[in-house]
Order: sequence, then C-alpha cells, then structure tokens
Amino acid sequence: MTILLIVLPIVAGSLLFLAPSGDKVLSKVVGCAVAAVTFFEAIFARGGGDFTVRWLSRPFTAAFHFNTDGISFWIVLLLALCTFCAVLACNVPRTRNFIALLLLLEGAMMGVFTAKDLLAFALFWDLMLLPVFFALAGWGERRDTAWRYLIYNFAGGLALLLATAAFGMAYGSTDVIGQAAHPLAGTWAPWIFAGFAFAFLVKTPVWPLHTWMPATYADTPSPMVAVVSAVQSKAGLYGFIAIALPFASASMHDASAFFIVLGSISLLYGAFAALAQTDAKRIVAYSSLSHLGLILIAIFSFNAIALQGALVYIIAHGLFSAALFLVIGYVEEREESRSLARLGGLGKANPRLAGAFTIAALAALGLPGLAGFAGEIVILTGVVQAGNIWPALVALVAIVVAAAYMLRLLQGAINGPQVADLPVRRDLTLLEGLAMAPLLAALVAIGVNPHLLTSALAMVTK
Amino acid sequence: MTTNLYSQADWAAVTPLFVVGITALVVLLADLFAKRHSNRYVSLLLGVLGLGAAAVICAQSYGQNYAAFGGGFVLGGFTVVFEEIILLAAGFSLVLYGAIGSEERMAGVVALMLWGTSGAMLMAGAANLMTIFLGLELLSLALYCLCGLAARATAREAALKYLILSSAASGFMLYGMALLFGASGSVALSALTAASVAASPFFWMGCGLFLVGLTFKLSLVPFHVWAPDVYEGAPLPVTAFMSVVTKAGALAVFARFAYAALPSGAAAHLLLPIWIVAGASMLVGNLGMLAQTDIKRLLAYSGIAQIGYIVAALAGGTSQGLRYAIYYLVAYTFMNLGAFAVVALCSTDKEEGSHVAALHGLGYRRPALAAAMTFFLLALAGFPPTAGFLGKVFILATNVGSGYAWLAALLIIGTAISLYAYFKVIRAMYDRAPSHRVVDVRPVAPLAWLSLAICLAGVLVMTFYPLTPSNVLPLVK
Repeated sequence: MTILLIVLPIVAGSLLFLAPSGDKVLSKVVGCAVAAVTFFEAIFARGGGDFTVRWLSRPFTAAFHFNTDGISFWIVLLLALCTFCAVLACNVPRTRNFIALLLLLEGAMMGVFTAKDLLAFALFWDLMLLPVFFALAGWGERRDTAWRYLIYNFAGGLALLLATAAFGMAYGSTDVIGQAAHPLAGTWAPWIFAGFAFAFLVKTPVWPLHTWMPATYADTPSPMVAVVSAVQSKAGLYGFIAIALPFASASMHDASAFFIVLGSISLLYGAFAALAQTDAKRIVAYSSLSHLGLILIAIFSFNAIALQGALVYIIAHGLFSAALFLVIGYVEEREESRSLARLGGLGKANPRLAGAFTIAALAALGLPGLAGFAGEIVILTGVVQAGNIWPALVALVAIVVAAAYMLRLLQGAINGPQVADLPVRRDLTLLEGLAMAPLLAALVAIGVNPHLLTSALAMVTK
Repeated sequence: MTTNLYSQADWAAVTPLFVVGITALVVLLADLFAKRHSNRYVSLLLGVLGLGAAAVICAQSYGQNYAAFGGGFVLGGFTVVFEEIILLAAGFSLVLYGAIGSEERMAGVVALMLWGTSGAMLMAGAANLMTIFLGLELLSLALYCLCGLAARATAREAALKYLILSSAASGFMLYGMALLFGASGSVALSALTAASVAASPFFWMGCGLFLVGLTFKLSLVPFHVWAPDVYEGAPLPVTAFMSVVTKAGALAVFARFAYAALPSGAAAHLLLPIWIVAGASMLVGNLGMLAQTDIKRLLAYSGIAQIGYIVAALAGGTSQGLRYAIYYLVAYTFMNLGAFAVVALCSTDKEEGSHVAALHGLGYRRPALAAAMTFFLLALAGFPPTAGFLGKVFILATNVGSGYAWLAALLIIGTAISLYAYFKVIRAMYDRAPSHRVVDVRPVAPLAWLSLAICLAGVLVMTFYPLTPSNVLPLVK
C-alpha cells in the first residue's frame, strides 16, 4: 500500500512526541522499526497499490493519488534507506524529538515523490519544510539559518502553489503526474512553467538561488542533513523530470539555454567554492551544488541517454552524499570539530571510519567502479550526443576540480599527519558501521554493475 | 378587519435572531435570581444554550429561499451559512469569556454579546438599506460597550477610539444610503440593479460613501488603523468576537451588495477600487505584522490581511468565488478563534499581558497548547495540511480563472511576507532560552478545551473534505 509509506512515518513520528523524552533507547528502537518497516514496504510497493481518493471536484479536479511507479520507486527506496541509516546512527541531544522529526520528514517526502496529483505534490512540498525548520531552530548553530531556509523554500513553495492553481484552471485537473497527457498550451503556459521552475530551482538549489543551502547543510545535525541532501534536494530535479518535461516541454525547450547556463555556473561555482572551504560539511554542500548542476544540464539536454544518466546520478549522489554527511557527523561527534584546520590523521587510529570516509569521498569524485562514475559517464555521453559540447567541457573541468576538493577533504581529515592535541577516540561502533554499510554497499554495487539501475531506468525514460 | 402585514413565514425567517435576542434578556433576568457563586455558570449556560438553539433552528431553514418582510431579509443558503458562522464565533467567544473573564459582569457581557450577535445575523440576511443599517448599529452599539470592559487605560482608549471612528464610518454609510435611496427611490438593494439608476450621479456618490463605510467595518486598508489599537485594548474574548463576527457581518453585506445590487455595467468600474484595496490590505496587513510584539496586535494585522484574501475571492463576481470566500471565512473563523483561545489562556489582563514573550517556551511548559497554537499559526500562514492552505488554493484558482491574476500574485507576495511574523511566534514557543516575561498559563476550563478541539478538528477536516455551500445565489429577490 503506497499510502502507508506516507501515513506510517507521519503517524509514528507524531506519536513519538508522546513517548518519554528521556528514553533514548525506546525512541531509537521505535524509529528504527518504523524506518525499517517503511523500507520493506517501499520494496514491495513497486507496481502495486495505486491509491486514489477524490479530493476536489471544483474549481478543478484533484485527488489524493499516490503511486510508486517509474522513478518514484527508486527515489522512495533511496529515501527509506537513508532515513533508516540516519535513525540507526543518530546520536543527537534530545534524541526523541529529533527522531520524531526525521520520521515526519520521511513521511512528507514520501508524499512528494509518490504524489500523482499536482496539488497533493504541492501540499507535501510545503509540508517537508517544517521538520527541517524545526530541526534548524532546535539544533542549529546560528539563528538566522532556519529563517533563511524557511523563507527561501516557502517562497518557492508559494510559486509552486500559484502555478499549480493556474495549471488546474487551465487544465481542468491536477491529477496528471505520470499519465500520458497532452502538454499545456495557451499564453499562460510559459508563466505556469516559470512558477514551477522557480520552486524547483530554489529547492535543488541552483546558482544564484543557492545561498540558503551551505548554511542549512552546515547547521542541520548530520543525520538529517544526510536525508535532506540525499533526497530533499532531488525534489526539484524530480519535478523537472516528472512534471515539467511531460507538460511544459515546449517552454522547457525554449528556455533550455538559460537553464543549461545556470546549471553550468552551479557546476563550476560549486566546485571552486568547495575548494575554498575549510568546514567539511560546507565542502560537501558546495560539491552537491556542483553535482546537481550537472544533473540539471543533463535534464535540459533532452536526450534519452542524458536523462537516464541523470536518474542514475540522482540515486548515486543520494547515496554518496548521505554517506559523506553521516561519516562527517561521526567525525564531528568524536572530535567536536569539522574544520579541516583542526582535524587530521584520524585514519591511523580509526581504520573503519577511514574506510567508510574514503569510499564515500571517492564515489563523490567519480572514481570508476563506484556509483558516481556510472552516473557521470552516462550523463556526459548523453550531453555530448545532444550536441552540447561546451557544457560537457565545463563538466570535465568541474570533475577535475571535484577530485581536488574531495582529496583535500580526505587528506585533511583522515590522512596526513596526526594532530597532536586531537584526542584519539574509539572507532566506528557496530551500529554506526551498520548504518554506513548499506549505503557503501549500494555505491559499490551500482558502480560495479550499473546495469542494475540503468536497465530498470531505461524503461522509465522511454 | 385586521390584516397581517407580515406572514408567519416572515417571522419564521428571523426566528434565530429573536431566539438570540430573547436569550440575552433571559440571561439578565436569571442573573437577578441566581445565587452569587453560581451566576457565572448560569449566564454562560443560558447563553450557549440560546446560541445552540438558534443554530439548530437556523440550520433547519437551510435550503429554503424566501424573501421575508418584503425583501428586507432574504433567507437562503448564503444567509444561513453566515448566520451559522456568526453563531459559532459568538458561542466560542462566550466560552472563552467564561473561562477567563471576570466574575461580576458576566451576565451583562453575555447579554451584550448576544445582542451584537443578533445584529450581525441581521446583517447576514439584510437585503435592504434599512435592515443593513439596523443590523450594523445593533452590532456596533454592543461592541462599544464590550470594548471598554477591561480595567485598563488601553481599554478605555480602545472603546473611545472605536466609538468615534466607527460612528464616523456609520455616518458615511448612512449618507451613502440616503443618496442611493435618492437615486433609486427605494431602499431595496434589488432596486439598484435597474440600468437607469446608474445614470444618476447620486448613485455613484452613494455607492462610494457606502463602500467607504463598509471598508472601515471590514478593516481594509486604508481604513484599518483602528483595528490593532482596538484589538489590543479590548478584552481578549471580545477581540476574538470582533475579529470574526464584525467581519462576517460586514462581508455578508458587501457580498450581497457586490453580487446583487449593482447594474451589470457599473460593477466592474465601481468595485475595482475595492479589489485594489483588498490587494493593498494583503501587503499592508502582512507587513504590519512583522513589527508587532503584542500578539493581539499581530493577530489584528493578520486579520486585515486575511480579510483581504477573502474579499479578493469575490473579485470575479462568480458564484464559485463566493463559495470560496465562504470557505475561507469558515477556515479563518476556526483558525483565528483557535489562536485567540490559546493566547487568552497564556496572557494576563494587565497592560502588555499579551506580549509575544508570554508564549516563550510554551512548547516545554504546555506542549499540547503549544502544538495547537503552532497548528493554528501554520493554518493562518497557509501551510498544509490545513484549511488555510486549501483556501488559498481556491482563491488563487478563482482569481486566475477570472482574470485577476494580479490579485493572486499579491496574495502570494503577502503570504510570503507573513511567514516571518507567524513563525516568529512559533519559534518563541519552542525557544529554550529562559525569559523573564513568561506568564503562568491559566487553568483551562473543560469547555475551553472543547472549543479548542473543535477549532482544530475544523481546520483539519476542512482540508480533506472541502465542502462549500452550493445554494448561495441568488442574494436578493
């Protein structure tokens, strides 16, 4: 049942607030159980359980319509996996509230990625802001980060809402996602697309709308930022693929040069900005900006191969960014710092931590044999085939820079000389190792045999 | 031989009003005989029972379409829905007053509220200029007294300010009505629709003055300045009462006027300023909210913006727009009353008793109350899953569909501005830093809990089952 994917985490998360606040173990056990059940539900949800309940019949028809078909299935799976890993490894003060927020976030995002109705999509789109806002307000380091996150994303959400209402009026129905339908026509079509595009660009984010993102990623506790960067940042790209591409392809074609330029700027700007950071989380945040710019270019190349690559890279980026943020979280917990200026030589005393960190970082820089490379090579092939030579060249530059900043991160934190006054703490515990293992295993599996994903996604892109 | 000027059906149409008005008398009488320590409960119980009885009688006439008193009071889906909204808000305010108000003046306050309620109900059905003014004055006179109840300097200031400004607005309206009467030769709103009326300059002047008066009562920009001061000074239950009942009554009059009383050619020119004013209210109300530290003032500015949204829904002149305006008004009733209830339970009667700081850390002191407040504020900000979200979708859709996309854009901008103000309160409730201005939460009466729960359920259920009355038109006969 698709609807359970949404309802179970939201109900469980809400009820968790009633549990005794001091009981860390209970919260964690409940959280893990719910996340695990959701994960198995997600696996079995494929192809089955189309859930529809009529919502509005006026002024346009809308329905609570959810399904896990096509790319939704893979993103839902990624979301369920990331949430499980995040809850499993969670070691944050006021654990009960934090895990409850994580579950609420999972439920809201399940709604975004399984919604087949635009209005339901917009509903969950706004809803998924709240857990992150409360996490930033409760656990964040600086006060204004939460405001910046909320205001940017709510502005995007409002644009989405207006575009959805206009879409409904023009089209007569919003129950349209994933259905073979005629594209939107009329003088309003470009404006409706612009509303959607603004929301998606803010959420991804793409330069110059990205300024909320590095601060948010740095301030949110690691388990949540792992989920946010892995999955929430994909909501915009998913929107381009699932909503804009079928219904506003004409507008997309007209504006493709604009979006490719934005994507290219993000790609380069993110890469060079990552090179200049000393905060480990900010390095990964800017690398996300860079990688997601590449996916945007792929989507706007209108090429089947590029699109397939985009889907593979969406999953791959989700896996390695979640892994990176989780492992940086472990480092921060142990050493109470994530500054490259302070860290160094952790690998000597912590081989397991070093191993996990290395695999995740190498996947992020696109080492062949890991999932990141599979996505990048397919995207580049498609982009070149579509005739976009210069964006491909820009991407090549960015990939080289990616190697530089990721190795710098690895070098600064794990390798290099041991810092004298840095206390030596214990290596990854069993739970922490278990939380990393599925992400790393998936990175290797997709990297070695990308056919796993590409063959499944080939059907989607047709 | 005696002839009955009015039939039984005429009186049946206004029975709910009479029930409410007579209940007020019964409350006053009962207060004379009740024992000192129990009179509070007697007044409250009688008042709520009277409102409940009126609501039941009123609901039974849903589906009827009848012009009572020669067209002075039109019974129909529109009237019934507005009467029910008014009764609900009145009942809620009574319960709130019972939970936190002072002991001794209980019966008088209940009676005044009930009379004000019957005035607003008269406005809901009024279809000629006389009944409109009668209802308006009945409501306003009750409010002048209610505003000055609290023993504070700001309360007296509020009452005086409201008396003077509101009387001036009534004067505008009355002058406008006289001119309209001069133009059409009839007090009936339906007489204004004749094409010949629009030729008269009196008609245009009269409409202008009439609409200025209404705009004041709706607290739309630029006639909104009184609202924050009066809301701040009046006792909280009275503020809650005003924020819904006055607006609902004035909105009913405005909707009837805009939909049914204008010659078809004149409406577009005549009402354009109102739509502009509604758009300006969205901006000014939401901008004004940003600077507020008193939560009653904050909610006053919020109300200015919210009424702007509701009026904007009427811009297309379609029956759908009217239905969505009603939907949003019901949603606003629930979320606004809910928010006021929480504020009432967390503030004192002293000066600045309702400072935002009084809510500081509420999430740790009273988690359930804080969660409810968060929900209501989210609804006011238009976050899902609340009726505020869906109501905004409706208004956006109807504006886009009827060619008022600029109003939709203003709504979006206004909502974006309001976000910070609402979330400032939410954040204060979940802030861990200690604050010295924290006020102890009052013990909550079971009835107050019940009304909070009703508001919560209303906001939530309306999201998933968005019912709107289908028989709202015609508005005059």
